[in-house]
Amino acid sequence: MQNTFIARNPSVLWFLAALGLFTAIVTLMSEATGVGLISTSFVKTLGKTLCLCLIAIAMDVVWGYCGILSLGHFAFFGIGGYAIGMWLMYARTEAIVVPNLMAQTIPPTPQEISDAIGNQIFGVVGSSEFPMIWGFADSLFLQLLMVVLVPGLLALVFGWLAFRSRVTGVYLSILTQAMTLALALYLFQNDSGLRGNNGLSGLQNIPGFEDTPQATISIVFFLASAFALAAGYVFFAWIVSGKMGSVVKGIRDNEARVRFLGYHVESYKLFIFTITAIVAGIAGALYYPQAGIINPGEIAPIASIYLAVWVAIGGRGRLYGAVIGAAFVSLLSSWFTGGGAPPINLGFYTIQWTDWWLVLLGVSFVAVTLFFPKGIGGLFDYLVRKQP
Amino acid sequence: MRYLVLALAVWLGTFVSAQAQTVQDILQVHADEIAKPSRRSVSVALDDLVASGLPQVPVFLEQWSARNVWQRDDGQFFIGDADGDDLALTDIDTGAASFALKSEFTQIRPNGGVRRVIGTALVQFQLSDPDLGRRETAVASIARRPEAAQLAPLLASIEGEPDAALKARKVQLANFLSARFADDPADRIAAINSLSSDTSVEARSVLNQILTTEPGVSASEPEGNIARVLDPMIDPDGFYAQLVEAELAPSRTPPDVIRAALEANVVEGRVGDVPVAQLGTDQMREAAYAQLADAGLVASLVTVSDRDAAIAAHVFFETYDEADPTITAAAEAALASVEQRVAFAQAADLALDGLSLASIYFLAAIGLAITFGVMGVINMAHGEFIMMGAYTGYVVQLFIPDYTLSIIVALPLAFAITFGAGVSMERLVIRHLYHRPLETLLATFGISIALQQLAKNIFGTQARPLTSPGWLDGAWVISDVIQISYIRIAIFILALLFLALILYVLKRTRLGLEVRAVTQNPGMAASMGINPDRINMLTFGLGSGIAGIAGVAIGLYAKVTSEMGTDYIVQSFMTVVVGGVGNVWGTLLGASMIGFLQKGIEWLNPSNTLAAQTYMILFIILFIQFRPKGIIALKGRAAAD
Amino acid sequence: MAQKLKLTSYVTGALLASTSLVAAECADPVKVGVLHSLSGTMAISETTLKDTMLMLIEQQNAKGGVLGCEIEAVVVDPASDWPLFAEKARELLTVSEVDVIFGSWTSVSRKSALPVLEELNGLMFYPVQYEGEESSRNVFYTGAAPNQQAIPAVDYFLEELGVEKFALLGTDYVYPRTTNNILEQYLQDKGIAADDIFVNYTPFGHSDWATIVGDVVALGEDGKQVGVISTINGDANIGFYKELAAADISADDIPVVAFSVGEEELSGLDTSNLVGHLAAWNYFQSAESEANAEFIEAWKAFAGEERVTNDPMEAHYIGFNMWINAVTAAGTTDVDAVRAEMYGQEFPNLTGGTAVMLPNHHLAKPVLIGEITAEGQFDIISQTAEVPGDAWTDFLPASAVLTSDWKELGCGMYNTETETCVQLTSNY
Repeated sequence: MQNTFIARNPSVLWFLAALGLFTAIVTLMSEATGVGLISTSFVKTLGKTLCLCLIAIAMDVVWGYCGILSLGHFAFFGIGGYAIGMWLMYARTEAIVVPNLMAQTIPPTPQEISDAIGNQIFGVVGSSEFPMIWGFADSLFLQLLMVVLVPGLLALVFGWLAFRSRVTGVYLSILTQAMTLALALYLFQNDSGLRGNNGLSGLQNIPGFEDTPQATISIVFFLASAFALAAGYVFFAWIVSGKMGSVVKGIRDNEARVRFLGYHVESYKLFIFTITAIVAGIAGALYYPQAGIINPGEIAPIASIYLAVWVAIGGRGRLYGAVIGAAFVSLLSSWFTGGGAPPINLGFYTIQWTDWWLVLLGVSFVAVTLFFPKGIGGLFDYLVRKQP
Repeated sequence: MRYLVLALAVWLGTFVSAQAQTVQDILQVHADEIAKPSRRSVSVALDDLVASGLPQVPVFLEQWSARNVWQRDDGQFFIGDADGDDLALTDIDTGAASFALKSEFTQIRPNGGVRRVIGTALVQFQLSDPDLGRRETAVASIARRPEAAQLAPLLASIEGEPDAALKARKVQLANFLSARFADDPADRIAAINSLSSDTSVEARSVLNQILTTEPGVSASEPEGNIARVLDPMIDPDGFYAQLVEAELAPSRTPPDVIRAALEANVVEGRVGDVPVAQLGTDQMREAAYAQLADAGLVASLVTVSDRDAAIAAHVFFETYDEADPTITAAAEAALASVEQRVAFAQAADLALDGLSLASIYFLAAIGLAITFGVMGVINMAHGEFIMMGAYTGYVVQLFIPDYTLSIIVALPLAFAITFGAGVSMERLVIRHLYHRPLETLLATFGISIALQQLAKNIFGTQARPLTSPGWLDGAWVISDVIQISYIRIAIFILALLFLALILYVLKRTRLGLEVRAVTQNPGMAASMGINPDRINMLTFGLGSGIAGIAGVAIGLYAKVTSEMGTDYIVQSFMTVVVGGVGNVWGTLLGASMIGFLQKGIEWLNPSNTLAAQTYMILFIILFIQFRPKGIIALKGRAAAD
Repeated sequence: MAQKLKLTSYVTGALLASTSLVAAECADPVKVGVLHSLSGTMAISETTLKDTMLMLIEQQNAKGGVLGCEIEAVVVDPASDWPLFAEKARELLTVSEVDVIFGSWTSVSRKSALPVLEELNGLMFYPVQYEGEESSRNVFYTGAAPNQQAIPAVDYFLEELGVEKFALLGTDYVYPRTTNNILEQYLQDKGIAADDIFVNYTPFGHSDWATIVGDVVALGEDGKQVGVISTINGDANIGFYKELAAADISADDIPVVAFSVGEEELSGLDTSNLVGHLAAWNYFQSAESEANAEFIEAWKAFAGEERVTNDPMEAHYIGFNMWINAVTAAGTTDVDAVRAEMYGQEFPNLTGGTAVMLPNHHLAKPVLIGEITAEGQFDIISQTAEVPGDAWTDFLPASAVLTSDWKELGCGMYNTETETCVQLTSNY
């Protein structure tokens, strides 16, 4: 089964080979191996980009293959980040606080430990009590489970409600956007128990590895992200290439007709929506320890729209298109906004790319939608097919 | 008491004035108080000044309050008027004019609190002043700091008051003052009763002041004018704390004190007979502490039953500061009646706020509703058209300084500019994407980020002022509870106008007929000789043009920034989707529902506006699950998705 | 592709180079990192600070730089995106190898950069008022702690204006939340009943203020003097003050004191209706002193005639000059050596008097209260003596026992009860 699936999809092998080569080169060049040609901060950028590629594939499956333009997948990404962030913060603080309490004459009560940790985590946002949400924060296993379960359940409930009522097309997009906005607004509140606008920070310090240099940690996360991307790619390639993939593509092209053929369209859509949400959550859980901080601004509706932009520019309906789009646009974006692009002097006006990059992105995005609906990936296809 | 102080001040004043004949002399006596006045200490100087009876005193007080008094380096005070580096001086006593360099003087700046005290001192001079402005100032001062001593002069000044409005205000104030300070209880009760239908903040404050209470606790039946006896079991810890404060019970031992006591009494690794290592739970700590208490080393623990027993043995109550029970009873009755009226008024005010918010949402969304409804196209750049309209208003104000005229110019100009932008966007982009609605959404989003960044590049990130004309300043005050600013009323009227206009265009004109035909069946409409391309273009222009006008209106009441579009776009989508696509009435219903709902949720949770917005969006998500096509569902092209 | 991507790692932003007399003999140029957002929502405030830094560095280079070296500014743009502050801080410290960073505006951006600063032992100067409850070995806080802004302002309300009932209005984020928490406790300690404190939080950029202003007016119904303590941030102030003006609430009836409204914010407003409302800062442009006149003149010459100066600019002015003096005293830019020299550094304030760097990494500065004038400036009506900044507030029980002393105790979070250092890194 596996053999035939890979055999039918040579692109998967090509992708894995390219990713493997890229990972090996970056690892060898990094500061962790002592070569240091690629700085730790750039390794982190690359690792984060791989996570973005992973969520972009998920987005491609749900939009490019199933035709659901979800403007809410970044919410799942953020939830994954929050879930892992809670454990990272809790465990790190515990490691600082508990030895201190233990050193005193009288051993601390569980309440005192919890108060001390709570005061450290929530003191900066003017509170010291542990909210209910943090009930499992002391267990890495349970929080890892949350990374998968919370986005999955949210997507399941939301999708079930929406697909059941036959909310489709533009309506569904707006609805998913409303969901993202509601979540972001909720998290923005201090009362949400997740530190409001401040979010969770210091996530790059992994508890138990306080003495490991960031150069090593960054490479470990980079490799983990690469592995997750590879696994996600193979998994989704497998899903969309089988019979299931045909049904899903049929739903995209003509939902009514697939329904008349006797398929339970809602179940297929729900499955795709949920499974991609879970992958988005995993991507988020890998992303935020590399970014170091997660806050509600990350979940704002605009982020999910950018995700759609990446996939559209990369080329929908091709998994490698999503990867190319996410990597290309996000790296280009940080190059332009980071002041890397040289300003262009027009004589009467100097174009500063920090100011004009978004204008360029917006316009080129319109151009891609109008003239290259297949995106960069389409160009790729064209070149490959031209060869005999 | 107050009279006594005044009499004393007059008596003292005669002494002071016997030695010091000029205002300047009195000022020099209190030089520090005058130069660096503070609310709490300034009254000494004020009393002396007033008591001196010198005719220059009121003038000096007014100038002092207006920050026109300057102190020379040698300590002498002058009334001064700064002009560049120069200072035009007026002698306080003689009125002689002179000039000097500003650098040798320091301006005296009494703060708001001091100015209020000065205002009170000025009341007696100003109440019957021939100048209307001064009399009004005096009345305002009384309203801000009502005092018993003001009642008599105020009553005396009512008779001779020529200005009808001010006279009414004086009568009202006198009524407030008599309710609190009149000598005869019957007068007070009469005044109190007359307040029972007055919902103003001032009237309520008078009643509440009469009804101020002090909490008390005693072991036996309380005495005095008791407001109410309280049930301590609603907050046993709080009431016990009150007992402790009154030194009627021993204080409770909080966990950290227990901990400290245990730490202090560790003997050979044990507290009592409990090993230290076992003290990691509250139970063991209390047990160890009890052993210490038995040994007499620490005060014994107050248990929950001790606490309850102590509470039960005492009566907790509140007494009125006012001793006369008939007066407090009258005030209670009046307040109850006022509160009821206030509750109704608050509901009305909330409804007005909701209406205002609804009209803003309607204005922001109606353009979107038209394009979405007629063409099935989502325009993510709609918010940026709102922003373009607002910036148009800002630019017009740069060229036309007259605010009224500039608004009159800005409204049609904003329409024209956004109409043009909408039409060109339709021609260049949207036309090519009619069969790919999801991609229209994304393409217009691209335009949206480009426009937003463009606005940042041109106008900067700072919010720009869009100032409303003077006649839109202020608010329509129905009562102290119900009021709404004129600018919001103007927006409401604008929304009504657009509602009427759009209904007229759609229902009564050739264009409207064609638009409706294209909405219902574009193919059939085309075969009847209607050009759907032209209709689409015009509708898109119209929708965008209205967004531009909405932008001017929103900019007037809030702010003009490059990001203002994003603030309204999601709300606008919700409005359209909730209302039902392609129907003006649906948008109106959607906007009303969202506006009122938001205000309703805010009312339930007034301390957190953000939560209100979150819950509202959740509600909308649920609502769409049950009515996926909105309140008013259309049939036709839009309904077919 | 890898080659192309690698380029990005060397991107360090624009390098400012001006003519120099001394650069030739300097082997290791002194680099100053400027970590302020030049795009995104915070750009409006932070661009000004970037320009301030460039001006200060230019002035210093004209005086001959420091340690015989030309100072080079390395400007990066974290784009108001909080995770980018961590990324850019790492880039500044490892790739550009700067000696010191001046930057950040919000607490969340500072807390994003903190772990990186502590890991790599960098040095940052943070110039904005903040909520306290933090003391990092690697950060000097040149803005106001709550006891240098909020507490004196509340005292002014209580003492001078006789306010008996408080409305604490804020934007929903950490600075207003913590500040209001401290103030609530402080007011209750001062005998204000919990019922007489009204707290409200609104989102960033809130514009619908009618109901909230109505609620504030209604607070006066029991005849007590009402005052508003505003920690409303940024754009939202415009709508708030417009609604106040529309409701015809004068400063005499309900005074408003703001902690986030300065000269820069007022320039977007018609202030004629706001005359008499208050703001509390450590600096106002209207302060009368020779140093201030010079500073304003230099700034207008550098940035433009219509520009105004504000409090965080003064913070950078003091911070930068103290750093220069500490480096000169230490004879090196090594972080630990400079840090040791920073304690006790003195530099004249622009408002008169002297700022002193305390061992808890905060400044002792005077607190000013100003009334808004019709010209969009502030009339200073109260100025205290220098108040030492307190990292851990005395008014919250959990932090009352904590103290910070990096000089003697070598600890930023020292529990005075148990006499132990809670932690050496800061709580981010």
